[in-house]
Amino acid sequence: MIEVKHLTKRYGVNTAIDNVSFKIEEGTIVGFLGPNGAGKSTTMNIITGYLSSTSGSVTIQDIDTLEDPSAAKKMMGYLPELPPLYLDMTVKEYLNFMFELKKVALPRQKHIDEICRLTKIENVYGRLIGNLSKGYRQRVGIAQALLGNPPVLILDEPTVGLDPKQIIEIRNLIKSLGKNHTIILSSHILPEVQAVCERIIVINKGKIVADGKADTLAHDLSKDHKLVARIAGIEKEIVQGIRELEHVEDVLSLGEKEKGVFEISIEATPETDIRRSLFALLARKGWPLLALKNSDLTLEDLFLKLTSGEDFAVQHDLENSEHPEIELEEAQDEADTSDEEQTETEEKGEDNA
Amino acid sequence: MIAIFKRELKSYFYSPIGYVCVAAIVALYGFFYYAILMSSGTTAYIGSVYSTLFSFTMIILPILTMRSMSEDQKNKTDQALLTAPVSVVSIVTGKFFASFAVYFVASTLGLLPAFALAFVSSPPWGIIFGNYIATLLYGGAMISIGVFISSLTQSQVIAAVGTFIASIIFMYIDGIAASINNPIVTKIVGWISFSTRNATFTAGTFSFASCIFFISVISIFVFLTSRRLESRRWS
Repeated sequence: MIEVKHLTKRYGVNTAIDNVSFKIEEGTIVGFLGPNGAGKSTTMNIITGYLSSTSGSVTIQDIDTLEDPSAAKKMMGYLPELPPLYLDMTVKEYLNFMFELKKVALPRQKHIDEICRLTKIENVYGRLIGNLSKGYRQRVGIAQALLGNPPVLILDEPTVGLDPKQIIEIRNLIKSLGKNHTIILSSHILPEVQAVCERIIVINKGKIVADGKADTLAHDLSKDHKLVARIAGIEKEIVQGIRELEHVEDVLSLGEKEKGVFEISIEATPETDIRRSLFALLARKGWPLLALKNSDLTLEDLFLKLTSGEDFAVQHDLENSEHPEIELEEAQDEADTSDEEQTETEEKGEDNA
Repeated sequence: MIAIFKRELKSYFYSPIGYVCVAAIVALYGFFYYAILMSSGTTAYIGSVYSTLFSFTMIILPILTMRSMSEDQKNKTDQALLTAPVSVVSIVTGKFFASFAVYFVASTLGLLPAFALAFVSSPPWGIIFGNYIATLLYGGAMISIGVFISSLTQSQVIAAVGTFIASIIFMYIDGIAASINNPIVTKIVGWISFSTRNATFTAGTFSFASCIFFISVISIFVFLTSRRLESRRWS
């Protein structure tokens, strides 16, 4: 378990992290998401004890990192942004050195062999690290973090520099490690975080701007629960028909997308599901339904929304927040270009209607 | 500490730097033993062999210590060291002893010509061993200063030049102090003068006080280097 309380780090007048708090339960994979310079690496460096904080505390498995740094460090495996490799050593020498440095008590050869197998570096085991490609160096970095089977893994952009096949391998590795490790990984690649992590903490300008489960974060943060459907038929009749359904708040036509097919945006009251009644209606009227999708924010939209606003930084805790809508409205004021496009089409749709 | 000591010691010999430094020192010992003692034809000048070599060693030591801390900072390998469950002091101690070990090997091999002499003559062992211990202690103190200076910068060149300047200052501090007619300055310099402490050994006597003096200098600079590493975390 990792608990970070009111962590602040200032460099002179610059505040790198501003009052960051979170708690990570055992056995979860948490993604740290944020643009460059958001404070992800700084937070990780503080958790691992490489940097100190200006104020605030970090506890790893109930051990305060300032009170007993050695014990806390023993609990953690850390892969920094740039893997801390000695280029003049072979992989074998390096892993043996790190094994001793970390005072690992496991049977040495067996443990190192196992980690090499996991990270797939057996074939470069005898080679000089300085001669390895970026991808292999990254894997040696991960191998180093895994030495000693620490219960907590802190991985700063673990898939940077890897090719697509390696990325998938490393993601799968992280996922499988997540079963018995607590993992924090940072990334600015959204699909990666979405694919691997159970929980996402979005950080921007040193502040946590969102914190929630990977799959529900976007959904819950969406202002409204919109459906977008493509229906063949007569535009006015379709809009009119759907409007009369129960729980429907607003219906908009987004225009003719194919010949005789209209895209309709349907807004339902929150916490309701109108898909079944919609289907029943369309079936009754004989209007073929060609596509239906949820227009929840994708994580990309969410990310841009949360991080593009100049002053927008709302500590958002899903469980406790009472007015997520209001926060989102603020965010939407800072509309990015894609939003503007959307508004335009909506306006057009209104004209049509 | 032992893991770091082993790694650092090995790293001297991954690159030519360790071999070159050891070879250079040993070769210089051989040469000056030959040049000074053969030309004079007596072992009475063994003291001057060591005092000549002393200046050369001061040039080689900065090369030994320049990468000790600065390279880690530059390559970010200090992240591995500082996030490992070891104390900062043991990191620094490991690094210090690795540099010292290379120097120790070189200086000890420098005794070979003296042993060779023993076959044909009876060299003054007291003076030889006095000088040998002085070389180790003075060198150890300079290594600790070098390690400290290399922790101040990411550039190995700056670390080497800085250490070299520091060693020159310590070499000539007595001369500079002598030209200043101020009893307080003279007294302070007398306290910190490496040469005065060194002189007791080169005369062939073992001074416990001087021994403690050099070991204290080493401890102080190991401590300062650790503080320096710690302070980087808080900056």
